Amino acid sequence: MDHLKQLRQKLRQVIFGLLLLENLLLLGGWYLGSLHRSHVTVIMLIGAGLLAMALTVLAMIVLSNLSLQPLEALWQAVLHISPTEQGVAAPDVNKLRIGKDLVTSLIFQIYQFADVANKAANEARVKNSDISQNFIAQNLPLPLFVMDASDTIIFANEMASQYIGIPVSDLVGKNVYMVLDMSFPSEDTLDNWLKGVKSKNATATGSWERVRLNVRDNHPARHFDLAAYYNRDNPDKNEVMLALFDHTKQYSQDDQAVSFIALSVHELRTPLTLLRGYIEVLEDEIDTTGNPELADFMEKMRSQAEQLMAFVNNILNVARVDDDQLQLSLESGDWPTVLKKAVADLSLRAKVRGITLHCRIAANLPAVGIDRLSIHEVINNLVDNAIKYSGGSRTIEIESKLNKEGLVETTVQDFGLGISSSIMPNLFTKFYRDHRNRAQIGGTGLGLYLSKAIVTAHGGSLWVRSKEGEGSVFGFTLLPYDQLTAELKKSGNQEITRSAHGWIKNHSMYRR
Amino acid sequence: MSEDQDQPATKTNRSVLCIEDEHFIAELYTRALTKAGYQVATIIDGKEGLAAAQTNQYDIILLDLMVPNLTGIEILRALRDPARVPPVRSKIIITTNLEQRDDVRADIEKQADGYLVKAEITPKELVEFLDNIQ
Repeated sequence: MDHLKQLRQKLRQVIFGLLLLENLLLLGGWYLGSLHRSHVTVIMLIGAGLLAMALTVLAMIVLSNLSLQPLEALWQAVLHISPTEQGVAAPDVNKLRIGKDLVTSLIFQIYQFADVANKAANEARVKNSDISQNFIAQNLPLPLFVMDASDTIIFANEMASQYIGIPVSDLVGKNVYMVLDMSFPSEDTLDNWLKGVKSKNATATGSWERVRLNVRDNHPARHFDLAAYYNRDNPDKNEVMLALFDHTKQYSQDDQAVSFIALSVHELRTPLTLLRGYIEVLEDEIDTTGNPELADFMEKMRSQAEQLMAFVNNILNVARVDDDQLQLSLESGDWPTVLKKAVADLSLRAKVRGITLHCRIAANLPAVGIDRLSIHEVINNLVDNAIKYSGGSRTIEIESKLNKEGLVETTVQDFGLGISSSIMPNLFTKFYRDHRNRAQIGGTGLGLYLSKAIVTAHGGSLWVRSKEGEGSVFGFTLLPYDQLTAELKKSGNQEITRSAHGWIKNHSMYRR
Repeated sequence: MSEDQDQPATKTNRSVLCIEDEHFIAELYTRALTKAGYQVATIIDGKEGLAAAQTNQYDIILLDLMVPNLTGIEILRALRDPARVPPVRSKIIITTNLEQRDDVRADIEKQADGYLVKAEITPKELVEFLDNIQ
């Protein structure tokens, strides 16, 4: 304020001085004129007037320049710090002839304001780019993960940490697939989506329903919908964002049906365990050499117990297929060994019905990609059917060879009742059974449905050829292991897991 | 049971703790294992089973998952607790007829030395399995 007063004072002084000088000139002209009342007077007056006018113009120029000097310096100072004006020099206050102190102090203030504004803007920028400082990200009532271009988690909010049961500090810096062991209901996984968008899009969004977070170290399984946002080369490295929407309660209710089956299976398995145990003891310890009928009964008992066990496993697996949970882990297998073992296990069941199993396996078979337990069930079901529908015929032919497409094809042929063409289309439907035979022949109608699902999951196909009254041939193909791995490599899958139409591991490479 | 003499000379004298609440199954397993030269103790109750297992005097523990008072999972967790001193050195084989989700089963298998579905093995096959456990 003092500076302003000083400036006002100075301006007043200058204006006052000039006006005084002008008036003195006019007064002097008038006085000189009054001394000589002649032409001289007029000339004097005109001279004084002209001089006063010149002085006024001069005063105008000097005054305007002088009074505007501080404003100009201020203007220059503002331009100097303005981010949009480049290359404006800072004003030189020493050149000021008027208001130097005021301008110096004002410019100082301007610089200070600018500094504060700059700092605030910088802080805001830092806050914005540092997502861990971001209020919304931190307090979003959804689990949120942010990853960089290499799928490394760079941020996870508190909800995310709680949801998957891992502290934030243990999440940051980890590969996302290492901490999020997710299963998706189809091949459309996060991993596959990311691979796609990374090559095509600058930004993209994706969403998935019914994603499952698998059980880990006693942390319960979670079910959720997932949304992802992708932004290539994000300056703050926030390349991928994942938000999880929990539906554990709702989606796991769908598992209840399986739980019921699992419980029933448990109840069935206990007596079955005992039955098989006692049969084994009896077979070992009762001497039946003198009594072939007793030996025959014993075999029948054992074969029935085995059949019951196969049935129980069938129910379980059908439940798994229906619930998208049948998961195979395919490995390289020597097909003749696997097939022979399965056929040997079944020969007792055939024998008690007076049927012989003939097995012919080509010598040149390559190793196949199989899940041993599941494929065993396929053979089991096909041979079991052949036994059931053999009618009066006494042989079943099992054959395995390399087909024209280079796949390992296995056929099971019986020479019994055959299948009417009218029911062929329904053959692989769940619970479907040939009504003509329903009364005489036991079964659930699950075997073929399940076998087809298993073979399909192996990447092969299951087919049937039949003529009523002449018997049926059921055949299925399996992929040579080399071909399977090549195919999976193409699709980028590192470990070989398949499902009937079910859970696909998101990124098997990081499976625990 | 005079057949005991016919058995081949046993290569094992190992001790087995069978935590199993189904009496008949325990009986069948004990019979087969004893014949094969194992020393078998059977406990029905989960709590008592855990206490016995913690004495560390068994080479092998057969652990049913559904036993009264304390579940097999809880027993397994207690025995495999990394903070336990001294650690239980017994091999733990889960024997169950319970159907588990694949991921749950995998989680259990990680902590145990074996996982058997009882309905899928006969007592003799159990003996073979244990014979192969080092």
